[in-house]
Order: sequence, then C-alpha cells, then structure tokens
Amino acid sequence: MSVHFRLITLTAVIFACFNLFAQLQVEVKDGAVAEYNMAVSPMHVLDGDAARASEISAAIEKVLDITGYFKILDKRSFLEKPEVAFKDVNFKSWLNVGANGLIKGTIKGKDDVELELAFFDVAKGKALIQKKYSSKAALAKKSAYRFAAEVIKLLTGEEMNFMFSKIVFVEKTGEKYSLVVTNFDGSGRKELYSTSKTILLPEWSADGQKIFFTSHEKNNPNLYSYDLKTSQIKTVSAYDGLNVSASAYPDNKTIALCLSKDGNSEIYSLDTMTNELKRLTVNSEIDAAPSVSPKGDEIVFVSGRSGNPQIYRMSLSDLNKVERLTEQGNYNQDPEYSPDGTKVAFSGRDEKYQFDLFIIDLASRQISRLTQNQGKNESPTFSPDSKIIGFSSNRSGKSKLFLSNVSGTKQIAVYSGEGEVQMPSWSPAETN
Amino acid sequence: MKQFFNFCAIAVFVFTVLCSCAGNPPKDERELAEKAFADAEGGKDCDRENYLAAEELLRQAREEVNNKNYDKAKELFNAVKEKSDAIAKYYREHPDECMKKDGKGNGEDDGTIKEENITSTEAADPSADPKNPEMDFQVVHFEYNQYAVLEEDLPKIDLMAQWMMNFPERVVRIEGHADERGSNDYNLSLGEKRALEVKNKLIQAGIDGERIKIVSYGEELPVDPASNEEAWFKNRRAEFKREN
Repeated sequence: MSVHFRLITLTAVIFACFNLFAQLQVEVKDGAVAEYNMAVSPMHVLDGDAARASEISAAIEKVLDITGYFKILDKRSFLEKPEVAFKDVNFKSWLNVGANGLIKGTIKGKDDVELELAFFDVAKGKALIQKKYSSKAALAKKSAYRFAAEVIKLLTGEEMNFMFSKIVFVEKTGEKYSLVVTNFDGSGRKELYSTSKTILLPEWSADGQKIFFTSHEKNNPNLYSYDLKTSQIKTVSAYDGLNVSASAYPDNKTIALCLSKDGNSEIYSLDTMTNELKRLTVNSEIDAAPSVSPKGDEIVFVSGRSGNPQIYRMSLSDLNKVERLTEQGNYNQDPEYSPDGTKVAFSGRDEKYQFDLFIIDLASRQISRLTQNQGKNESPTFSPDSKIIGFSSNRSGKSKLFLSNVSGTKQIAVYSGEGEVQMPSWSPAETN
Repeated sequence: MKQFFNFCAIAVFVFTVLCSCAGNPPKDERELAEKAFADAEGGKDCDRENYLAAEELLRQAREEVNNKNYDKAKELFNAVKEKSDAIAKYYREHPDECMKKDGKGNGEDDGTIKEENITSTEAADPSADPKNPEMDFQVVHFEYNQYAVLEEDLPKIDLMAQWMMNFPERVVRIEGHADERGSNDYNLSLGEKRALEVKNKLIQAGIDGERIKIVSYGEELPVDPASNEEAWFKNRRAEFKREN
C-alpha cells in the first residue's frame, strides 16, 4: 500500500471522526428511520378551477415535504382516479403504490370555493381527518395549509404554523437592491422598495407589521422601518456610523441594534417610541448582530472579544452575565434565537474555510450541523414555530432562498429570482 | 469497532496536535524575516537572483498567513530569513562588486556600461505629489479579519496626511470595506473598524478628526467580484474619498 494511499485513509478517518454527526444525519436519511409515504391524489374538480386545484395539491405536498417527515409519492404511479368518492377508496390500490397515507380532495366553485379534504390511513383503511372549507378563492390555499397542519399534528404530534408566514429578504440584481417579501414557499413575490444604494439586514417588528432595514440612501448606514400597511418608510436611527442589525423585543416597541457612534461597534437597545437609547455592551472589540430572545430577557450576539468572532449570550437584566456559546471554530457569526427559545442558529466557518450553518441546543449545549459541502450558507432565520430554517445559499450558483428542517435532512430552494437572495428573515406567525 | 474508536482517538489526537501547531500566526518569525529582508536590500542588484527568490518566498509566506496555514508560513518566514541573511552577508563581503552592479561604481576602467536609475531624480509624479490638489488617493489594504493597518501601508497614510496638511480646507471620507467572507453584519462592523483605524492614524499624524468622515460598506462594494485570495485582498480595504 502506498504512503499516499495511507495518508488519504488517515485523512478520511480524521474527517469521519470530526463528522460523526453529519454521518448520523445521512443514516437517518438513508432509511434508519423509515419515512412515511404520502400519496396526495390530484383534486377532483367539480365545476371549479383546475389550475387552483393543482395549486392546492402542490401546496399540501410542499408543506409536508419540507418537514422532512414525509416522502411524497409520484402521482404518475397512482392507480386510482381522483373522481373516486371518499367512501369508495380502494385502499389496496394505494397499498400497491406503497402509500402509508393518502390525501384526497374535491374543489367546487370559482369565486367562492368549497374545498373538501380527507386524510386516510391506508393500512387501517379509514379516514382519520375529513374537513370542508368554504372561503373566497384567494383563501383556498390557506385552507389547504390548515389541513396540512392538521395532518402533521396527527402524525408527528408537532404543531407547525410556518406555512402561514412570510419571509423578507434582499434581492441584489447588479447594482440594484430590492426589499422583497414572499410567502414561506417563495411564492407571491412583492417588491417593497428598491434603490441603487444598499438595503441591508431586514428584520420584522414583533407584530409583523413593519420591516426594519439599513440603507446607505443618505450615504450613512441608517436604520429605517417600512410599514407594510401604509408603505411608509421612516427613519428609526441615524447616528453617525453604523445603525444596523435591528432585532425586535416582544414589547413591539423596543429593538436591539448595533451602533458605532461611540467609536466602536456596540449593541444598544432603542425604544422606538421615546427614542431612549441604552448601551448594552462595552468592549473595545466588535460587538454586533444582536438577536433578542423570545421573552426579551436576553440577547445572543457576535463579539470579537476573544480575538475572533464568537457567539455570546447576555442577560438583559444583568449585563455582566455574559456567556460564550461557541468554542469550536474561529469564525462564528450571525446568531439567531429560535422563537421557542430553545435554540440558536448561527453561521460558522468550518475546517475547510466554508461557511455553514449550525444549531446550538441551549439546554444540552450540543451543536449540530445543518449544512455541509454545499457552497456558502448564510443568514439563518427560524420559522415562527421554530421547525424550519430559512437561509441563503449559493450551492447551485446564484444565491437562492433555501428552507431546511431543523435536522438538516430536508433542504429545498424555494425562491430564485433575477438577482442574488441575501439576508432572509422569517416573519412572526400569521401576517396578512 | 473498538479498534476503530482507538484509531479515531489517535487520529483526533494527531489532528489536535496539527491544529495546535497551526494555532497562531508566526509573529516572531515574521518580524525577523521582514527585518532580514529589508536589511538585504543592499544586495538587491549584486545578488539579484537570491533577492528575487527571497522576495517571492516572503510573498508566499504572507499569503499563507492570510490562509491561516501558520505552519507553512513559519517555514517560509524562516526560509526568507535564511536567504536574506545570506544575501546581506554576500553584500557585506563583496561591497565593490555590489557597488558596481547597482550602478554606483564609477565604471570607467573596467569597460562596463554605467547605468543609473534616473526615475528617482525626475520630478515627482504629480498623481502622488501631496502638493497636487488632484493627487490620487491610495487604497489601504488589510489582512483577513484584521483591522490593523499593515506596516507597508503606513506610507500611504503619511502621504494622505501630508496632502491634508497642504489643503486644510479639504474634508475626506474614508470608506471601509470587507471581503465577501463572513456575515454581512459582522463585515459592516469590520469595515467600520478599518475606516476608523485609518482615521486614527491620520489624527495621530496631526489631522483634525473633524475633517475625516468614515462610512462602512461591509462586503457590499467589492472592487473584484471573484472569490479568490487575490480578489479578497483587493476587497479588504479603506478608500479615501473627497467630501468637498
């Protein structure tokens, strides 16, 4: 055996030792935990809109798929026609295509839509959920999401509401920056604002009615808010130097932000009603990127105080209570508190100098890896139910909006536009 | 299985040892190498081949520091030092030859052609003349994740200070930038730190801080959009701009 080969083997073993977690993920994905095979039959259209019908079944599939708990079966293999009534389902034909579960539906009406949906356990041969939704056509998709959430709850015990939320991000096309909002699945793109100056680090207000962002519009990185109801843009903070990285307190009026007005990047809290400012960090190195805990009792942030950027957490009732959360790696940034308060996601540079996403479980201090060997992955953001993580990734060339379940076993691109997707931020629950 | 774990343990140990060696930038080695190389300048022309080789080694060593390959960098710095010392020794031992080769000898008797470097005696380049109101401002560069001004860039700031002394009514803006690696928010802070560091150097040189504005663009305005060391180096920068 050549020395060269032995060296490769040794390297591979070292790599394997360092990546036990990642391998575990793959094992799970490769069948150690059996996936639940779900058949989503095409809708039966009764004098309705066929396009809407297929949109609805696709929406249900997408929601189930992104949770990572389901394998969505290929429609082309289905033996039974969509017209077959709920009471006449031939479960054997669904067993034959390998389905554990079956979702069927009928859709009636064009403007006022009546949607009937049923979920069947194929092995048991019976319907476990059967629902009828009546609404204006525009809300039919939302009805389908409600149904999907019920199916998920029944089969996994988990309450999920990510499907009702939105994501804001910056789309950079050449020199143009656009502030863009889409539904969680990248659909319904709406451009709120665009400029050839910058748009940076958008973040939602606690009530989901406003979006904070930074722009060099006036040649200084000032913080603005965009009101989703009135489309008005207001200046929130315009001190000399940085006014960036807003993160909302649950009181819906206070934000944490990073300012450099005192000669260095420091974290402050700002009451947006009274403009009262309070300095939270005092350190000669960079303190930046605060993310407020869901209770508003602490922040996580990045600091260069140990020589390179690491993630810290600080109590807001006792500013001396500061704790370092990351020990491994020398470039950990972009922390984001999960809305359920149990996790912190961050981006870090790994041993191959690639930027990947990691999650800290705050109770156990275990750090798990979300992405690996897939380009540059940045700006993690949690769905309001803390079940899904949105981020930007250039793994397939241009930077796109990706979603991943928390274990990282399911990752899909949901938005790819003309430009590069950057700095996504997930809304709080239910915004309209 | 147990064997595998033992092997793992050994492998991790080996890796840890490797890591611990690669832990810190080789500061002392670098300092010694840079100084030795500077001292070897007298041998630039008479021992040209070795001088160029030392120069190349030094360039590689700096690059390895940027890449955080500190072991390799240390090795290279040591090689630079060794080579530079040899050049300096040669220079000291063969002063006549070196004088001739670098054109400082009289060259009358030995039939060689006398060659002089005349650019230095020409009028100063107006684009780099601090008396010229339209002087070109030079770009200051930084190492990865660092905001300290590199020693080789201090003259650029001195030049800027002279220009600002000569034109006391002028106000400048320093724009700080980062390369694309790292998060946008941290890079904004890093760009700010870089601009501030350059501002402080100007203040130390006697310029009124009121005449210096700073703004960070983070990683937003790269001069080279490529994703490689060369581009990243170009993009980690502070630029002077005229405010009035």
